[in-house]
Order: sequence, then structure tokens, then C-alpha cells
Amino acid sequence: MRDAPSSAPGLYLHIPFCSSICPYCDFSVIHAASPARTRFASRMAAEVSLAAPAWRDPRPFDTVYLGGGTPSQLPPEDLARVLDACRTHLDFARPSPWIFLEANPEDVTPEACASWRGLGVRTLSLGVQSFSDEALRFLGRRHTGRHARAAIDTALAAGFETVSIDLIFGLRGQTAEDWQLELATAVALAPQHLSCYQLTIHAGTRFGVQARHGQLSELPEDDQATLFELTHRFLADAGWPAYEVSNFARGPAHQSRHNRKYWDHTPYLGLGPSAHSLSAADASSPARRWWNERGTPRWEGRLAAGERPIEGQELLGPKELAAEALLLGLRTTAGIDLEDLRARYGVDLLAANDTLVARLTDEGRVVVRADAEGARWLVPTLSGLAVADGLAAAFDLSLPN
Amino acid sequence: MDHIRNFCIIAHIDHGKSTLADRLIQRCGGVEDRDFRDQILDSMDLERERGITIKANTVTLPYTARDGKTYELNLIDTPGHVDFSHEVRRSLMSCEGALLVVDASQGVEAQTVANLYLAMEFGLTVVPVINKIDLPSADIDRVMEEIDRDLGLDPFESVQVSAKLGTGIDDLLEAIVTKLPPPKGDPQAPLRALLFDAQYDVYRGAVLLVRFFDGTLKAGTRVRLMHSDAEHKVEEVGNQRLKRVPVPELSAGEVGYVLAGMKSLAGLAIGDTLTEADRPAAEPVPGYREAKPVVFSSIYPMATDDYEDLTKALEKLKLNDASLIYEKDSSAALGFGFRCGFLGLLHLDVVQERLEREYDLSLILSAPSVRYRVVLTNDKEVWVDNPTFYPDPMSIKEAYEPYIKATIMTPERYLGSVMELCRERRGVETTYNYLAAGRMDVVSQLPLAEVLFDFYDRLKSITQGYGSFDYELLDYRLGDMVKVDILVNGEKVDALSQLVHREFSRPRALRYCERLAKTIPRQQFKIAIQGAIGGQIIARTTINPFRKDVTAKCYGGDISRKRKLLEKQKEGKKKMKMVGAVEIPQEAFVAVLRTEDEDEG
Repeated sequence: MRDAPSSAPGLYLHIPFCSSICPYCDFSVIHAASPARTRFASRMAAEVSLAAPAWRDPRPFDTVYLGGGTPSQLPPEDLARVLDACRTHLDFARPSPWIFLEANPEDVTPEACASWRGLGVRTLSLGVQSFSDEALRFLGRRHTGRHARAAIDTALAAGFETVSIDLIFGLRGQTAEDWQLELATAVALAPQHLSCYQLTIHAGTRFGVQARHGQLSELPEDDQATLFELTHRFLADAGWPAYEVSNFARGPAHQSRHNRKYWDHTPYLGLGPSAHSLSAADASSPARRWWNERGTPRWEGRLAAGERPIEGQELLGPKELAAEALLLGLRTTAGIDLEDLRARYGVDLLAANDTLVARLTDEGRVVVRADAEGARWLVPTLSGLAVADGLAAAFDLSLPN
Repeated sequence: MDHIRNFCIIAHIDHGKSTLADRLIQRCGGVEDRDFRDQILDSMDLERERGITIKANTVTLPYTARDGKTYELNLIDTPGHVDFSHEVRRSLMSCEGALLVVDASQGVEAQTVANLYLAMEFGLTVVPVINKIDLPSADIDRVMEEIDRDLGLDPFESVQVSAKLGTGIDDLLEAIVTKLPPPKGDPQAPLRALLFDAQYDVYRGAVLLVRFFDGTLKAGTRVRLMHSDAEHKVEEVGNQRLKRVPVPELSAGEVGYVLAGMKSLAGLAIGDTLTEADRPAAEPVPGYREAKPVVFSSIYPMATDDYEDLTKALEKLKLNDASLIYEKDSSAALGFGFRCGFLGLLHLDVVQERLEREYDLSLILSAPSVRYRVVLTNDKEVWVDNPTFYPDPMSIKEAYEPYIKATIMTPERYLGSVMELCRERRGVETTYNYLAAGRMDVVSQLPLAEVLFDFYDRLKSITQGYGSFDYELLDYRLGDMVKVDILVNGEKVDALSQLVHREFSRPRALRYCERLAKTIPRQQFKIAIQGAIGGQIIARTTINPFRKDVTAKCYGGDISRKRKLLEKQKEGKKKMKMVGAVEIPQEAFVAVLRTEDEDEG
């Protein structure tokens, strides 16, 4: 049985600074040497003061996620200023929300951990990516495998409730054995949470440019599938079952209670360059998603002019929300609560797709199962999870007129 | 009649026929310089682009020669492809002389020889023209030698020009007047005028281009078309300049246009003879042949919504292309369309391109087919050009397929490959002759169906572009045809059925299966693609389902983008054709039905 997930909103704070820009990364990042870094805390304070009056959701924020970029590149006193400003303008859950912080292994010291703990950080998420020095060089990371192992030990010793590590698989030339060794190393270090991302080559990154020139490519589909299945099977056997396509936790208590909000349309407020926000529908307006200026200079510039740095927005009707619920739900091992989908968006997914579901069941892509309360769920199997994007596209989402 | 010269220009592709024609028109003041569009004669965009003339155009040029007399030069343009060989012959028949263009750097080529023979068949006086003498690579001495040796013409009779720069054009005009003979004929005799081309004019309907052999014609006369046996009253006769210029009368030896109140080209047959209804000629001009469609294909709009547009486009096209025939057709996979008949593959190609370009339509064409004669067990005879209507094999007693006599000219070094190609395509009685040094003429009797499937491209490729090909229909012969169906997850895709000789059924079916397997995107399920004759499976491929497509990350900033991608995918699916619960993109049909053969290169 799962606890009923919290419907309280989450707060996302984007800290764009990085000591070097990784060749695969397509997030909004800026070099840590940028003078913007010294102004950043006051800019964030300005943004939250502008954003708070417009945030209508009465429920207190119960998660705060400091992501990036590399939040560990911002001095702890600046992080404290940002959090203080948020606490001043926004309603935080009591005694305190669950705070997440992303950090690079090279920034993890007992002292830094102590100051982050002092800020109320309960999940430390480490950008380990690999334990192999060769792979780390390829990925443009500044740390070594030894640094990574030390950082995990330090973080665990510092008493964070959840230590999470990010790993990347599907590197050029990586064999199943290589990757299994990485997973075994991770498991032996015993962080409570793992995110394993397949290397994705994005246009506009250094890898993207190399790919365009034919110097680099993602793995062939069959190899991707092999590594994907290996990851899920290995970690499940080791005691870190998946709860999402790329996320694995040692028990439900360590699943990311912040990221979950993205996947089930719980509202969230995002501050900082490129951050996205979602507000729920209420009596007067439909659900709305908006996003900030992506580049730090533009984001800063708008704030300097006294404006909110919003770049765009979209209104989400039942049709859009249902489509998102489908594509997001099929990425989770819990699957889609069919009664909930009908209640929220008026979509009877099984009725509209009976032959499809029968075929997908035959093919072992999905199962339909009832939970203890008798609610029916559409649940992707492992092979279904691997093709969640195609699965989502296969369903007919006809809404009643 | 002494002041008239009727001539055409014949050339290998790219040897500069159109440019030369333009220069002659310009020099004779047929057009103001500022109005001058290059290559006036090739008026259709398609012709300009391909550099080949599809529909012949004709123009009358006034020319004052060095002897002080004014001549009427009738330049009769000829289409440049075998599908229109009947029209070419009618055009040549209307001339007394021909300018045979040879590129000063390329020299005499296979088609040059073929053209010369054709001109000689019609008894034309031939003046060789060496063009492109301005090119640095021009080798006039060598070309003169080739004209002597390969063409058997007197090289010192040739005229050297650069059509591009206008060099030598005056000499050429003088040669036309002095070397080509004037026409003969009796203006008093009963009217005999050869219809060698017809054009469609939006305001005036059919414009008949005719060569007068005997008699005289003026407006108001009732004329009869001797083969189609239709009568019309002549409204206007005149010279075809760049515009039409009416004249009081046209008579023996002249070339001009006739307007006779015909609303479209339907029913007009190139090669027909006009005569006076009240005083008919005893015999028509010889050489008439009915232009019959020999290649059939179904045309479907890519988007079913475009069916109405396709209907209108075909109606318009038909107005100036009397040889195009069509009727309604429908397919379970591709919806409504038309079954069309064409004079040949190039004709099919031209129609397709005109529909796509001039009418902005995206089309799918089914595999081209010939027309079979099928004798049923009850001794009834049926003609079938559409696989959908091919009778059940149990009810067929005998089936006959059309054969052609193919004439292929090739440099000697490719003889082996050309013979092999003919053998592969079930050619019989293949023979060859030496034409001139290093040149061969291969004659083979081939089933037309085997020529439809990428024969011409293969010939070009094995002869490195030097081979030329001409054909005429011979007869119908007993054949062993089978209908090959393509099944996707057990369901027949009707638009992909085709009639094939039994010997080729398996490779052809396999090729279709493989092309489909390449172009149908992977789906959530395994897809079986099979080729079958009746219930017997003769080829098979499978498309394995997706194994991994999920993106690694999906957080706050990724969700909108993912949803939009999903919406786009769903939009794309609407355009796909569903066969046996499998989504088949339109491109798959296009790829499968391509006749050229990229797979084997």
C-alpha cells in the first residue's frame, strides 16, 4: 500500500551555475565565474517577492527542490538567503518542508554537508554520473571515480535522510558488463536513491554538434533496451526497485516526493532561470503552466526592470491534462489510476481502447490490475516502461463532448 | 511554294536543340529581345526543367535571305521521347529538311544516329550543325570526322554555330534556304492536310497544327477528319508565329494552324488528315496510327480530401492531352482515385509531374501495369489492366500479354550487358547489328510488362547513359501471369497487388515486403508482411516491435514539450492508412510503388 501522496505544492529553485559545462547537458546553465552569481541571491529574493502575490494556492509548500545547474556552486550563505526569502513570502509547511539539494561530488565535504544540513536539506542528490574515470572524462566531469565514492560516503555519514546519486548509461562503447559494474559499485555504496539516465544527445550541446558531424551517436535501440532492462532487473534484485523510468529507491519512503508532483499534476512554483510552474484549475480559471526566461542574463534583466521573468505560458484544459496524465502515468511503475483519470478529466481510457489494451496485455506491455480498494490501474510492465512514449501515442484519448 | 522551307531540328538530349531554335526565332525577328524568354519552344515548366520537349511547338519565321527574297521558314518542333514516337514521326513527315545538331565537344552520340535514321526514313534532307563551338573543349575536327564516318554525311556541308552566343546563325539560315528543298504539292487538288500536333487554348479550344500537302483552305470551309470521320466548319486559318496570325488562306506546302470550333482535344487524333467535306481527297496522308494507352496505373491523392482537386486537375489536363484516359477507381487502403491509361512510362511520368506541380497535388501511383487479354474457361475473353479485376486463376484458360519490338542502340562495349538485360527481361529473338564503328543496334522482342519495371533506368545505367531505346508494339503472346498480393498482418493491401510473370513473382513480392519493412515505422506489435499468390505465401518479412523509445528525463520543464510531441504524433497517425491494425504511412506506399530500383544500385 502506498501512502496517499501529498497534494501540497512544491517549490523548485533553479540555480544555474556550474564550474564547467558538461557536453551532454541541455539545462539552463551558466559558468560559475559569471558575475551573475554574486547577484543571484538578491535576484531570487526579488523574484519570489514578485511571484508570491500571484501564487493563489492556499496550501503550504511541503517540498523545496534546489536544482540546477549546480546548487552546490552557490555558497551556503547565498542558499540561506534564497531560502529565507522564500520562507518570508511563501507559506512553508511546518515544521519544515522536505528540502532537496543537487551537488557535485567535488563540492561535497563534511563542512559543506554540515552547512546544508543546517539549511534543512534532507535529500542530497549527487551528480556522480559514473565511477569510471574514463567515462567521467568523456562526460566532461571534473571529478574522478574515487571522488565520487568519497562524496557518497561523506554524504551518508553527514546524516542526510536520503542520499541520491545520478548515473548515466549508454555511453559510446559501454558494454552490459561495464554498466553492471557501475550499478554494482553504486549498490555497494548504498545510497537510498538512484537516478539512472540513458545518455541523450540534445541538439545545441557539444555532443549534439559532434552527433551532427557523425562523430557520436546514441546507442542502437536494441542495445539501449538491453541496458535499460539490465538496470531495472539488477536494481530490483538488489533492493532498489524502480518507481519511474529512470528513478529507483530503497523503499517508498525514499522516492522523490518532489519529482512525484511533476508526474501527477500536483501544483508547483518554479523560480530561477528556465523554471516551470503549474497551477491547478480552480473555479475561475483552468490549470496553467508557465515558464521563466531560459537564459540567466534575460532572467536577470527582466527582474532588474522590476518585471516577473516569465517567458511563456499555456492553459491546460482536460484534453491537455489527460494527455499529460497518460504520458506521465505510463512512465511510472504505479501506472495510471483509471478511476482517478475518469474523475479528473472525464476520460474512460479502457472503454475507448479496449482492443488496444487487449493486444498490449497479450504482448506483455501492460497489465490492468485492481488495488486493495478495488480501484483499477493500468500498469506498464518493464517492457512497457521501455516504450512508454510509443505506448502513450497508441492510446485514443477521446473525450466525451 | 519556292519561298517555303519546312524543317525540324533533331538532336541528342543536351546538344542544344532548344537554344538553337530560340536563336533562329530571335534572328528572324519573331520576337522582341526584351520579350525573349529563353527556350521559347519548350513552353511547359516541366520541359524547361528536364530539357526535353514533350509537346511539340511550331513556329513560322519570315526570313529575308542574301538573295534578297523573303522566305517563310516553318520550324516544326519534335517531341524527344519514345512514348511520343508517333508524334515525332508525324512531325518529321511534315518537313522536307532537318537540322541535325551535334555537340562540338560531345560529338556524335547514339541518339544522333537514331535521329538521322529516322530523318532518312522520311526522306528528309539533312544539314549537320556543329553546335557549342564556343566551348573550350570543342573539337571541331574530330566532330567533322565523326559526321563523315559515323553518319555518312558530308562534313563540309555542316554549319558551325554557337547557339548560345549567336555565332554562325546567319550562315545557318542561309543554309536552310539554299540546302533544304522547298515543298511540293498541288494547290488546286482536293485538300490533304496532315494534323501533326494540336494545342489547347483556353479561349479558342483546339488549335490544330497542320501541314498542307495538297489543296487550299480558307475560313468557312467545312472540313472532314478522315480517320475520326468528324466534320467541322473552319473559323480561322493562319500562321503560328509566337502569336497566332490569321491569313486569308493556307495552301499546299504551307504549315499553319486551323481553328474549327472544337472545344477540347478529345477525339482528335494526331496523324489524321483534314480534307474538304465537299471535295474529299481519295486517300489520306499515309502513316496514321491510333495512339492507344499501353500503360495503366491508379492515381490516388495522398490526402483523401484532395480527391475533388484531383478530379478537376485531370479534367483540365485531359483538355490538352487527348491521349490521357481515366476512369474512377477506389482502394480500401488508399480511398478514391482514378485508373489512368498512358502512352508509355514517360507519359505517365509527365502526367504525374504536371498534376503534382501545376495542380499542387501529392499523389500515390499504383504499380504500372499493361493490359492483358484473358481467355476464361467458358471461352469468354476479357481485357484486364487492373490487378483488382484479374479473374480467379481457376477460371482462366489462357492469358496473353503484350510484346514489343525493342530497338536499343548502344556502344559496342556494352553489348554483352544489353543482351543480358534483354535476356533477364524475358526477351526473345534478340539480334544485333553493327551500325557504324563501335556502335550496335540490338533488337529484341520483349514483354511490355518487363519494360515497365525500371528497364529504362537499368539500360541507362549499364550503358553509362549511352544506350538509347525505342519500341513499337508487336502482338499479344501467351504468358504465365500470377497476381501477387501483399498482406500486412494477414490483411491484403489492395493497392499493392500486382500482376507478374510467375518466374518473377517471388523476387518481386520479396522486394515489396522488404521495402515495406523499411518504411513502416516500428510499432507496439510485431508486424508480419507477406507476399502471396492466392493462399500461398511466397515471401515474408517482419517488423519487430519497439524495444526502447522512452526518454530518460521528464521533469517540470519537459512535460509540455512531450505533450506537444504526442499531439503531433497523433496528428500524424490520422494521416496514416490502417491495414490490419497496422498504421502505414503514405510514404511507405510511395516507396514501395517506386519503379526505379535503388535497392540494388
